[in-house]
Parts: sequence; structure tokens; C-alpha cells
Amino acid sequence: MAMGSVKGGDRAVPYINVTPLIDVLLVLLIIFMVVTPLKPSRFKADIPTQRDPNEDLSKLKPNPLTLVVTISQDLQLKLNQDSMGSVNDPSALAQKLQTTFQLRKDQHAYKVGMETATNIPEDQRIEKTVFVKAPRALKYGDVVKVIDAIKGAGASPVGLQVDDLP
Amino acid sequence: MGMSSGGGGGGLQSEINVTPMVDIMLVLLIIFMVVTPFLQQGITVPIPRDLRNPDEDQAINKETSVIVSVVCRPPDAPQCTPEMTEYYLGKKKVNLDDLKAQVEKSLANKKEEDKIVYVKSGVNVNYGEVVKVINAVREKGVDKIGLVADKKKGGGAAKT
Repeated sequence: MAMGSVKGGDRAVPYINVTPLIDVLLVLLIIFMVVTPLKPSRFKADIPTQRDPNEDLSKLKPNPLTLVVTISQDLQLKLNQDSMGSVNDPSALAQKLQTTFQLRKDQHAYKVGMETATNIPEDQRIEKTVFVKAPRALKYGDVVKVIDAIKGAGASPVGLQVDDLP
Repeated sequence: MGMSSGGGGGGLQSEINVTPMVDIMLVLLIIFMVVTPFLQQGITVPIPRDLRNPDEDQAINKETSVIVSVVCRPPDAPQCTPEMTEYYLGKKKVNLDDLKAQVEKSLANKKEEDKIVYVKSGVNVNYGEVVKVINAVREKGVDKIGLVADKKKGGGAAKT
């Protein structure tokens, strides 16, 4: 530009060459388009720690709020004792869990030890633990589908039962 | 260069024009900067796809995270027997006994709250094989696992 104004009788037309800029921006755009769907994700699940063989299990009291989702070999679901559809259509289970959690929220059914922990948000204090029990011969994919539905209903944490599986 | 020597009343210009080279180098640099955090750890596994509610976790791709992969050989077998199942820790094939020792080693200098083992399992693998892995790692004081799954694109998670 400076050159033009010194030399020129003709009027200089100053313009910025944007082509390389656009080149680079397009490449960046494509990179991000390719990379974005690759975000890794996972289900967090709790597993029981190794049992102490000398521990006296008779002293443990069962928690009345415990929710156990059982998957049977023929892909039927059970929530505690009630039948809840099948693996391929877990909407009944999700619905039931959601209403259960809502009910607990209304009744202030807190987790053990969190009854007075008012510094923690109300939502996290409600007992929403769900255990999953599935037979060993089942396909992993089916189990994950059920965990997906349970997680979608708002359960947290999700626990996997690993002892005494059929 | 060609232009200046051809046109030249002025002195011959003997400098190499490095601008395009620098352009390309910069783009390459940016590509690698962007892509490096996304390089997957472990082996490629047909993990469960199109699920709605898994949580995103960038730590899965961290070099320090412990990833146990459970796959069926051949991968497209309709029925996966326990004999066809293979276990990998990171990219290395291991058997269940080695797995225990090596998981313990890789978790040894991690903080208590970071002790999580990621399980990448193929959809056709028997759940019992996954339970075996879980049993192996729980002996080493791990009580959190992450089941790696693929989140459905565009489908927002159900809000609760």
C-alpha cells in the first residue's frame, strides 16, 4: 500500500488479501467438525469393595429405600419385586423410577447420614441409589441399555451387584 | 523467484519465500494441538452406541487413566463364549491374573478419589466377563468403575 501511494499517479486501491485467512479458518472448521462427535463419555457405576470374610453380616440392616433392578435371562426387567417391561422397552421402568424419586423428594427421604446435611443441595441428598443385578450369560450391551434408562430416570449412584449372580 | 528474475530491472532477489511453508507448518501445529487430546487410549472396541444419558468424561482419553478393554475375537461373533473373550489393559493383552497386578501398579500413585477404572467392553461380550474384570479390580480397592459408552449425537440427555 505504501509503495503504491509513493509511486502511483493512479489511485491506490488498498485491500486486505483474505484468502489465506479463509483457508486457515476453513481448515480449522473442518477439524472441529470431525473431532467434536468423538467426545468420550461413560456411565459411572459403583461396585462393592472386597468383603471382609470375618465381618458379621447379620448386624447389617437392609435399607428400606433400596431399589434393585433385576434383569432376567429372558430380558424381562424387575424393580424390586414388580415386573417392569423388558430390556428393549425400559420406559415403564424409567417412568416408575422417576415417580419414585419424585415421591421421595416430596417426602424428604434422604440418604442415610445426609438427613441434616443442609449444605448439600436437596436433590443430592435424596436416596436415589439403584442397584443392577443381571445374570452372567446376558450380553453386556443389554445391561448397558438398562443402565442408560436408569440413569435417564435420575438415579445416582448406580451400583452393580457382582456377588451371587446366576 | 521466477517472477523477479524474469521481470528484473532491479537486483536479483535470492531469498526463499518461506511464507507458504510457515502457513502450512502453523496449520499442522494447530491440527496436532487440537487432535492430541482426542486420541483414544486402549484398543478399538465396539462399545455400546447411541445411548442417551452417559456423562462426558475427558479423563478417559488421558494417558494416565486405567482402561480395561474386554473384546470378543472375532469381533463380529454372534455368540461370545468365555474362551473367545480377550482382556486388554491399555493396548496390551493380559489375562485376568496379570490384570490384577498391573491395575494395582497403575493405580498405586493416584489419589483416592481418582481411583477409577474405565471398562470398555464390546456389546456382544457376556456380562459375566465384565463381572470378572470388576471382581479383579475390586480386590485392589477400587470401588468406582466407568462403563465407557457412546453418547447419541445431538440427542440431549433427559433432564431430571
